Amino acid sequence: MTAVTHQAQAIELSGSRSIEAANDHELLAAIRDGDEIAFQELVRRYRNPITNFVYRMLDDYDRAVELSQETFIRVYTSASRYQANYSFSTYIYRIATNLAISELRRRKRRKMVSLFSPYTNDDGEAVEMDPPDLNVLQDEALIANERRHAVARAITSLPQKYRAAIVLRDVEGLSYDQIAETLQLSEGTVKSRINRARNLLKEKLSAYI
Amino acid sequence: MNSCKSIRELIDEADNPNLLPFEVSQHVDACRECERFSTERAGLRNLLGSGVRVTAPMNFDAMLAARLAETSNRGWLSWLAPASYFRLGAATAGVAALVLVAQYSGLFSSNLTPSQQATVATTKSKQPERRPSAQPVLDAAIVADNHRQPQRVTPIVNSPRINAGRLSAVTIGRVRPRETVSSDDLGVVLVRGQNGGSDVQMPTVSLGAQPLLYVSAGKQQPSRNVGASF
Repeated sequence: MTAVTHQAQAIELSGSRSIEAANDHELLAAIRDGDEIAFQELVRRYRNPITNFVYRMLDDYDRAVELSQETFIRVYTSASRYQANYSFSTYIYRIATNLAISELRRRKRRKMVSLFSPYTNDDGEAVEMDPPDLNVLQDEALIANERRHAVARAITSLPQKYRAAIVLRDVEGLSYDQIAETLQLSEGTVKSRINRARNLLKEKLSAYI
Repeated sequence: MNSCKSIRELIDEADNPNLLPFEVSQHVDACRECERFSTERAGLRNLLGSGVRVTAPMNFDAMLAARLAETSNRGWLSWLAPASYFRLGAATAGVAALVLVAQYSGLFSSNLTPSQQATVATTKSKQPERRPSAQPVLDAAIVADNHRQPQRVTPIVNSPRINAGRLSAVTIGRVRPRETVSSDDLGVVLVRGQNGGSDVQMPTVSLGAQPLLYVSAGKQQPSRNVGASF
Protein backbone atom coordinates (compact mmCIF):
# COMPACT_ATOMS: atom_id res chain seq x y z
CA MET A 1 0.00 0.00 0.00
CA THR A 2 2.77 2.36 0.96
CA ALA A 3 4.74 1.44 -2.14
CA VAL A 4 1.71 2.13 -4.31
CA THR A 5 1.25 5.52 -2.69
CA HIS A 6 4.89 6.43 -3.22
CA GLN A 7 4.69 5.26 -6.82
CA ALA A 8 1.63 7.40 -7.37
CA GLN A 9 3.40 10.39 -5.90
CA ALA A 10 6.37 9.77 -8.17
CA ILE A 11 4.16 9.57 -11.22
CA GLU A 12 2.44 12.75 -10.21
CA LEU A 13 5.80 14.41 -9.71
CA SER A 14 7.00 13.47 -13.15
CA GLY A 15 3.73 14.59 -14.67
CA SER A 16 2.11 17.95 -14.47
CA ARG A 17 3.67 19.37 -11.28
CA SER A 18 7.04 20.99 -11.32
CA ILE A 19 9.66 19.58 -9.06
CA GLU A 20 10.01 22.85 -7.16
CA ALA A 21 6.38 22.60 -6.12
CA ALA A 22 6.71 19.11 -4.76
CA ASN A 23 6.89 18.69 -1.02
CA ASP A 24 9.68 16.82 0.73
CA HIS A 25 7.80 13.56 1.01
CA GLU A 26 7.04 13.56 -2.70
CA LEU A 27 10.68 14.21 -3.45
CA LEU A 28 11.68 11.30 -1.23
CA ALA A 29 9.24 9.06 -3.08
CA ALA A 30 10.77 10.14 -6.37
CA ILE A 31 14.29 9.54 -5.04
CA ARG A 32 13.22 6.08 -4.03
CA ASP A 33 12.28 5.47 -7.66
CA GLY A 34 15.70 6.65 -8.81
CA ASP A 35 14.86 10.24 -9.72
CA GLU A 36 18.15 12.11 -9.34
CA ILE A 37 16.56 15.46 -10.16
CA ALA A 38 14.41 15.07 -7.07
CA PHE A 39 17.51 14.40 -5.00
CA GLN A 40 19.19 17.52 -6.39
CA GLU A 41 16.13 19.55 -5.44
CA LEU A 42 16.20 18.13 -1.92
CA VAL A 43 19.90 18.98 -1.63
CA ARG A 44 19.21 22.50 -2.88
CA ARG A 45 16.58 23.01 -0.20
CA TYR A 46 18.55 21.75 2.76
CA ARG A 47 22.26 22.12 2.02
CA ASN A 48 22.57 25.58 3.56
CA PRO A 49 20.51 24.96 6.73
CA ILE A 50 22.25 21.66 7.39
CA THR A 51 25.71 23.09 6.75
CA ASN A 52 24.97 26.04 9.02
CA PHE A 53 23.59 23.80 11.75
CA VAL A 54 26.59 21.47 11.74
CA TYR A 55 28.93 24.43 11.59
CA ARG A 56 27.31 25.91 14.69
CA MET A 57 27.67 22.59 16.44
CA LEU A 58 31.33 22.08 15.56
CA ASP A 59 32.65 25.57 14.81
CA ASP A 60 34.64 23.95 11.97
CA TYR A 61 33.49 24.86 8.49
CA ASP A 62 35.38 22.24 6.49
CA ARG A 63 34.22 19.42 8.72
CA ALA A 64 30.71 20.86 8.71
CA VAL A 65 30.63 20.65 4.90
CA GLU A 66 31.86 17.06 4.99
CA LEU A 67 29.28 16.02 7.54
CA SER A 68 26.58 17.86 5.66
CA GLN A 69 27.43 15.85 2.57
CA GLU A 70 27.48 12.69 4.64
CA THR A 71 23.98 13.58 5.82
CA PHE A 72 22.70 13.75 2.24
CA ILE A 73 24.46 10.51 1.34
CA ARG A 74 22.64 8.80 4.18
CA VAL A 75 19.34 10.28 3.07
CA TYR A 76 19.96 8.97 -0.44
CA THR A 77 21.13 5.51 0.53
CA SER A 78 18.35 4.99 3.06
CA ALA A 79 15.54 6.55 1.02
CA SER A 80 13.90 3.16 0.64
CA ARG A 81 13.64 2.84 4.42
CA TYR A 82 12.30 6.33 5.02
CA GLN A 83 8.94 6.43 6.77
CA ALA A 84 6.91 9.60 6.55
CA ASN A 85 5.85 9.63 10.18
CA TYR A 86 7.48 12.98 10.84
CA SER A 87 8.42 15.91 8.70
CA PHE A 88 11.42 15.43 6.48
CA SER A 89 13.20 18.37 8.11
CA THR A 90 13.03 16.56 11.43
CA TYR A 91 14.43 13.45 9.78
CA ILE A 92 17.36 15.18 8.11
CA TYR A 93 18.18 17.26 11.18
CA ARG A 94 18.23 14.08 13.22
CA ILE A 95 20.78 12.55 10.88
CA ALA A 96 22.89 15.71 10.96
CA THR A 97 22.62 15.93 14.75
CA ASN A 98 23.75 12.35 15.19
CA LEU A 99 26.71 12.90 12.89
CA ALA A 100 27.69 16.09 14.69
CA ILE A 101 27.41 14.47 18.11
CA SER A 102 29.50 11.52 16.91
CA GLU A 103 32.11 13.97 15.70
CA LEU A 104 32.11 15.77 19.05
CA ARG A 105 32.53 12.48 20.88
CA ARG A 106 35.36 11.48 18.57
CA ARG A 107 37.09 14.77 19.24
CA LYS A 108 36.60 14.32 22.95
CA ARG A 109 38.18 10.87 22.81
CA ARG A 110 41.14 12.29 20.94
CA LYS A 111 41.32 15.04 23.54
CA MET A 112 41.54 17.74 20.95
CA VAL A 113 42.51 20.93 22.66
CA SER A 114 41.12 24.16 21.40
CA LEU A 115 43.57 26.98 21.07
CA PHE A 116 41.02 29.12 22.81
CA SER A 117 40.82 27.02 25.94
CA PRO A 118 44.10 25.30 26.72
CA TYR A 119 43.76 26.00 30.43
CA THR A 120 41.38 24.80 33.09
CA ASN A 121 40.37 26.33 36.37
CA ASP A 122 40.33 24.65 39.77
CA ASP A 123 37.03 22.95 38.94
CA GLY A 124 38.45 21.38 35.81
CA GLU A 125 36.41 23.54 33.47
CA ALA A 126 38.00 25.01 30.38
CA VAL A 127 39.03 28.58 30.84
CA GLU A 128 39.06 30.71 27.79
CA MET A 129 42.39 32.30 27.04
CA ASP A 130 41.42 35.79 26.06
CA PRO A 131 44.43 38.06 25.91
CA PRO A 132 43.62 41.73 25.69
CA ASP A 133 43.49 43.15 22.22
CA LEU A 134 45.41 46.41 22.36
CA ASN A 135 44.38 47.46 18.88
CA VAL A 136 41.81 50.15 18.52
CA LEU A 137 38.50 49.02 17.08
CA GLN A 138 38.14 50.72 13.77
CA ASP A 139 34.64 50.01 12.60
CA GLU A 140 31.45 48.15 13.21
CA ALA A 141 32.63 45.19 11.16
CA LEU A 142 35.28 44.41 13.71
CA ILE A 143 32.77 44.59 16.52
CA ALA A 144 30.37 42.35 14.69
CA ASN A 145 33.19 39.93 13.95
CA GLU A 146 34.21 39.84 17.57
CA ARG A 147 30.61 39.29 18.64
CA ARG A 148 30.24 36.45 16.17
CA HIS A 149 33.38 34.76 17.46
CA ALA A 150 32.24 35.20 21.04
CA VAL A 151 28.88 33.59 20.26
CA ALA A 152 30.57 30.71 18.44
CA ARG A 153 32.95 30.13 21.33
CA ALA A 154 30.14 30.29 23.85
CA ILE A 155 28.09 27.74 21.93
CA THR A 156 30.97 25.34 21.48
CA SER A 157 31.76 25.58 25.18
CA LEU A 158 28.31 24.24 26.06
CA PRO A 159 27.88 20.59 27.00
CA GLN A 160 26.93 18.65 23.91
CA LYS A 161 23.44 17.73 25.12
CA TYR A 162 22.60 21.40 25.55
CA ARG A 163 24.34 22.47 22.38
CA ALA A 164 22.17 20.58 19.92
CA ALA A 165 18.98 21.79 21.56
CA ILE A 166 19.93 25.46 21.71
CA VAL A 167 21.27 25.54 18.14
CA LEU A 168 18.16 23.88 16.79
CA ARG A 169 15.97 26.31 18.69
CA ASP A 170 17.68 29.69 18.60
CA VAL A 171 19.81 29.38 15.46
CA GLU A 172 17.73 27.14 13.22
CA GLY A 173 14.39 28.21 14.64
CA LEU A 174 12.82 24.78 15.06
CA SER A 175 9.82 24.42 17.34
CA TYR A 176 9.98 22.52 20.60
CA ASP A 177 8.10 19.53 19.24
CA GLN A 178 10.33 19.38 16.19
CA ILE A 179 13.41 19.47 18.41
CA ALA A 180 11.91 16.75 20.59
CA GLU A 181 11.39 14.57 17.53
CA THR A 182 14.83 15.35 16.16
CA LEU A 183 16.64 14.56 19.39
CA GLN A 184 14.19 11.80 20.30
CA LEU A 185 13.54 13.35 23.68
CA SER A 186 10.41 14.43 25.50
CA GLU A 187 9.30 18.00 25.03
CA GLY A 188 9.80 18.68 28.71
CA THR A 189 13.41 17.54 28.52
CA VAL A 190 13.97 19.76 25.51
CA LYS A 191 12.53 22.78 27.34
CA SER A 192 14.71 22.08 30.33
CA ARG A 193 17.86 21.76 28.24
CA ILE A 194 17.16 24.92 26.32
CA ASN A 195 16.51 26.83 29.54
CA ARG A 196 19.79 25.64 31.05
CA ALA A 197 21.68 26.36 27.87
CA ARG A 198 20.34 29.89 27.81
CA ASN A 199 21.30 30.43 31.43
CA LEU A 200 24.85 29.27 30.66
CA LEU A 201 25.05 31.43 27.55
CA LYS A 202 23.73 34.45 29.43
CA GLU A 203 26.72 34.28 31.76
CA LYS A 204 29.21 33.87 28.92
CA LEU A 205 27.72 36.53 26.69
CA SER A 206 26.60 39.07 29.25
CA ALA A 207 28.91 41.66 27.72
CA TYR A 208 27.14 41.42 24.39
CA ILE A 209 23.52 41.30 25.51
CA MET B 1 -2.56 35.45 38.71
CA ASN B 2 0.33 33.69 37.10
CA SER B 3 3.43 33.21 39.17
CA CYS B 4 6.77 34.56 38.04
CA LYS B 5 8.02 31.04 37.41
CA SER B 6 5.27 30.14 35.00
CA ILE B 7 5.59 33.52 33.29
CA ARG B 8 9.31 32.96 32.76
CA GLU B 9 8.58 29.55 31.30
CA LEU B 10 6.18 31.18 28.87
CA ILE B 11 8.81 33.81 28.01
CA ASP B 12 11.31 31.03 27.34
CA GLU B 13 8.90 29.07 25.17
CA ALA B 14 7.73 32.00 23.08
CA ASP B 15 8.48 31.60 19.40
CA ASN B 16 9.28 35.26 19.07
CA PRO B 17 10.87 36.86 22.14
CA ASN B 18 9.61 40.27 21.05
CA LEU B 19 6.00 39.13 20.67
CA LEU B 20 4.85 37.77 24.01
CA PRO B 21 1.30 36.65 24.79
CA PHE B 22 -0.96 39.26 26.33
CA GLU B 23 -1.01 37.86 29.88
CA VAL B 24 2.75 37.59 29.84
CA SER B 25 3.16 41.17 28.67
CA GLN B 26 0.77 42.29 31.37
CA HIS B 27 2.78 40.53 34.06
CA VAL B 28 6.08 41.75 32.69
CA ASP B 29 4.88 45.33 32.79
CA ALA B 30 4.10 44.96 36.46
CA CYS B 31 7.03 42.78 37.63
CA ARG B 32 10.50 44.27 37.45
CA GLU B 33 12.34 40.94 37.82
CA CYS B 34 10.35 39.32 35.05
CA GLU B 35 10.86 42.38 32.90
CA ARG B 36 14.62 42.07 33.35
CA PHE B 37 14.42 38.35 32.59
CA SER B 38 12.41 39.01 29.46
CA THR B 39 14.86 41.65 28.26
CA GLU B 40 17.84 39.36 28.83
CA ARG B 41 16.19 36.45 27.06
CA ALA B 42 15.21 38.58 24.09
CA GLY B 43 18.74 39.99 23.84
CA LEU B 44 20.28 36.55 24.03
CA ARG B 45 17.98 35.05 21.44
CA ASN B 46 18.51 37.96 19.11
CA LEU B 47 22.25 37.62 19.57
CA LEU B 48 22.22 33.91 18.79
CA GLY B 49 19.90 34.32 15.84
CA SER B 50 21.62 37.34 14.36
CA GLY B 51 24.88 35.58 13.61
CA VAL B 52 25.99 35.24 10.03
CA ARG B 53 24.67 32.01 8.58
CA VAL B 54 27.26 30.04 6.71
CA THR B 55 26.30 28.54 3.39
CA ALA B 56 27.43 25.48 1.54
CA PRO B 57 30.37 26.01 -0.81
CA MET B 58 29.82 26.47 -4.54
CA ASN B 59 31.12 22.99 -5.34
CA PHE B 60 28.95 21.31 -2.73
CA ASP B 61 26.79 19.48 -5.28
CA ALA B 62 29.78 18.31 -7.31
CA MET B 63 31.57 17.04 -4.22
CA LEU B 64 28.41 15.30 -3.07
CA ALA B 65 27.94 13.67 -6.46
CA ALA B 66 31.53 12.41 -6.38
CA ARG B 67 31.09 11.00 -2.91
CA LEU B 68 27.82 9.35 -3.86
CA ALA B 69 29.46 7.74 -6.88
CA GLU B 70 32.28 6.54 -4.68
CA THR B 71 29.81 5.13 -2.18
CA SER B 72 27.83 3.26 -4.81
CA ASN B 73 31.01 1.83 -6.37
CA ARG B 74 32.19 0.68 -3.01
CA GLY B 75 29.01 -1.29 -2.38
CA TRP B 76 30.32 -4.72 -3.26
CA LEU B 77 33.54 -4.00 -1.39
CA SER B 78 31.77 -3.13 1.83
CA TRP B 79 33.31 -6.17 3.46
CA LEU B 80 36.57 -4.24 3.39
CA ALA B 81 35.23 -1.85 5.97
CA PRO B 82 37.25 -1.61 9.21
CA ALA B 83 34.51 -3.34 11.17
CA SER B 84 34.76 -6.28 8.81
CA TYR B 85 38.49 -6.38 9.31
CA PHE B 86 37.95 -6.53 13.04
CA ARG B 87 35.46 -9.37 12.74
CA LEU B 88 37.79 -11.26 10.40
CA GLY B 89 40.71 -10.77 12.78
CA ALA B 90 38.68 -11.91 15.76
CA ALA B 91 37.52 -15.01 13.91
CA THR B 92 41.08 -15.83 12.85
CA ALA B 93 42.33 -15.40 16.40
CA GLY B 94 39.58 -17.66 17.65
CA VAL B 95 40.43 -20.37 15.17
CA ALA B 96 44.13 -20.09 15.99
CA ALA B 97 43.37 -20.40 19.70
CA LEU B 98 41.28 -23.52 19.05
CA VAL B 99 44.08 -25.05 16.99
CA LEU B 100 46.58 -24.34 19.74
CA VAL B 101 44.35 -25.85 22.38
CA ALA B 102 43.80 -28.93 20.22
CA GLN B 103 47.50 -29.31 19.61
CA TYR B 104 48.42 -29.00 23.24
CA SER B 105 45.75 -31.37 24.38
CA GLY B 106 46.91 -33.95 21.83
CA LEU B 107 50.55 -33.38 22.65
CA PHE B 108 50.35 -33.81 26.37
CA SER B 109 47.58 -36.32 26.73
CA SER B 110 47.86 -40.04 26.51
CA ASN B 111 45.41 -42.87 26.60
CA LEU B 112 48.01 -45.57 27.20
CA THR B 113 47.89 -47.98 30.08
CA PRO B 114 50.25 -47.49 32.96
CA SER B 115 52.04 -50.70 32.04
CA GLN B 116 53.14 -49.10 28.84
CA GLN B 117 54.68 -46.17 30.53
CA ALA B 118 58.27 -45.86 29.65
CA THR B 119 61.25 -45.02 31.64
CA VAL B 120 62.56 -41.68 30.82
CA ALA B 121 66.29 -41.61 30.60
CA THR B 122 68.36 -38.62 30.13
CA THR B 123 71.51 -38.62 28.11
CA LYS B 124 73.79 -36.08 29.44
CA SER B 125 76.42 -34.82 27.18
CA LYS B 126 79.92 -34.13 28.07
CA GLN B 127 80.53 -30.69 29.41
CA PRO B 128 81.60 -28.55 26.47
CA GLU B 129 83.41 -25.31 26.49
CA ARG B 130 80.97 -22.63 27.58
CA ARG B 131 79.93 -20.05 25.09
CA PRO B 132 79.13 -16.82 26.78
CA SER B 133 76.48 -15.81 24.28
CA ALA B 134 74.33 -18.86 24.77
CA GLN B 135 71.46 -18.70 27.23
CA PRO B 136 70.78 -22.11 28.67
CA VAL B 137 67.22 -21.44 29.69
CA LEU B 138 64.95 -24.38 29.89
CA ASP B 139 61.72 -22.86 28.71
CA ALA B 140 59.97 -25.73 27.14
CA ALA B 141 60.38 -29.16 25.78
CA ILE B 142 59.26 -30.63 22.54
CA VAL B 143 58.36 -34.24 22.46
CA ALA B 144 58.24 -36.15 19.23
CA ASP B 145 56.06 -39.18 19.56
CA ASN B 146 57.08 -42.45 18.08
CA HIS B 147 54.06 -44.35 16.89
CA ARG B 148 55.76 -47.68 16.51
CA GLN B 149 56.37 -48.12 20.19
CA PRO B 150 53.89 -45.88 21.90
CA GLN B 151 55.02 -44.82 25.31
CA ARG B 152 53.58 -42.53 27.88
CA VAL B 153 55.35 -39.28 27.72
CA THR B 154 55.19 -36.71 30.41
CA PRO B 155 56.28 -33.15 29.99
CA ILE B 156 59.58 -32.34 31.52
CA VAL B 157 59.27 -29.27 33.60
CA ASN B 158 62.12 -29.18 36.01
CA SER B 159 64.96 -30.55 33.97
CA PRO B 160 68.40 -29.49 35.04
CA ARG B 161 70.10 -26.77 33.19
CA ILE B 162 72.53 -28.01 30.63
CA ASN B 163 75.50 -26.25 29.24
CA ALA B 164 75.02 -24.26 26.14
CA GLY B 165 76.13 -25.38 22.74
CA ARG B 166 75.06 -28.99 23.12
CA LEU B 167 72.01 -30.94 22.25
CA SER B 168 70.12 -32.21 25.23
CA ALA B 169 68.20 -35.22 24.15
CA VAL B 170 65.98 -37.22 26.37
CA THR B 171 65.13 -40.50 24.81
CA ILE B 172 62.24 -42.52 25.96
CA GLY B 173 62.49 -46.26 26.18
CA ARG B 174 66.18 -46.78 25.71
CA VAL B 175 69.34 -44.80 25.75
CA ARG B 176 71.23 -44.25 22.58
CA PRO B 177 74.65 -42.73 22.19
CA ARG B 178 74.23 -39.03 22.15
CA GLU B 179 75.83 -38.59 18.75
CA THR B 180 73.21 -40.77 17.00
CA VAL B 181 70.01 -39.66 18.55
CA SER B 182 67.11 -39.98 16.12
CA SER B 183 63.37 -39.92 16.07
CA ASP B 184 63.40 -43.71 16.18
CA ASP B 185 64.09 -43.37 19.84
CA LEU B 186 60.49 -43.38 20.98
CA GLY B 187 60.63 -39.73 21.78
CA VAL B 188 63.12 -36.99 21.71
CA VAL B 189 63.08 -34.00 23.92
CA LEU B 190 64.90 -31.03 22.59
CA VAL B 191 65.76 -28.23 24.85
CA ARG B 192 65.86 -24.81 23.37
CA GLY B 193 69.33 -23.41 23.24
CA GLN B 194 70.91 -26.79 23.92
CA ASN B 195 71.30 -28.14 20.44
CA GLY B 196 75.04 -28.52 20.10
CA GLY B 197 76.89 -30.82 17.80
CA SER B 198 74.58 -33.83 17.88
CA ASP B 199 72.71 -35.38 14.97
CA VAL B 200 68.96 -35.61 15.03
CA GLN B 201 66.96 -37.34 12.33
CA MET B 202 63.56 -35.83 12.31
CA PRO B 203 61.54 -33.40 10.31
CA THR B 204 60.70 -29.98 11.48
CA VAL B 205 59.74 -29.88 15.10
CA SER B 206 57.20 -27.32 16.06
CA LEU B 207 55.46 -26.22 19.18
CA GLY B 208 51.99 -25.05 18.60
CA ALA B 209 51.74 -23.09 15.41
CA GLN B 210 55.24 -21.63 15.50
CA PRO B 211 58.30 -23.47 14.28
CA LEU B 212 60.68 -23.83 17.14
CA LEU B 213 63.56 -25.85 15.85
CA TYR B 214 64.52 -26.66 12.31
CA VAL B 215 66.60 -29.71 11.66
CA SER B 216 67.68 -30.98 8.30
CA ALA B 217 65.50 -34.01 7.79
CA GLY B 218 67.15 -37.32 7.19
CA LYS B 219 70.70 -36.09 7.11
CA GLN B 220 73.40 -36.99 9.55
CA GLN B 221 74.72 -33.61 10.27
CA PRO B 222 74.89 -31.38 13.28
CA SER B 223 71.56 -29.87 14.03
CA ARG B 224 71.17 -26.16 13.72
CA ASN B 225 68.87 -24.09 15.72
CA VAL B 226 67.92 -21.59 13.08
CA GLY B 227 64.88 -20.24 14.72
CA ALA B 228 63.42 -20.48 18.12
CA SER B 229 60.53 -18.48 19.32
CA PHE B 230 57.57 -18.69 21.61
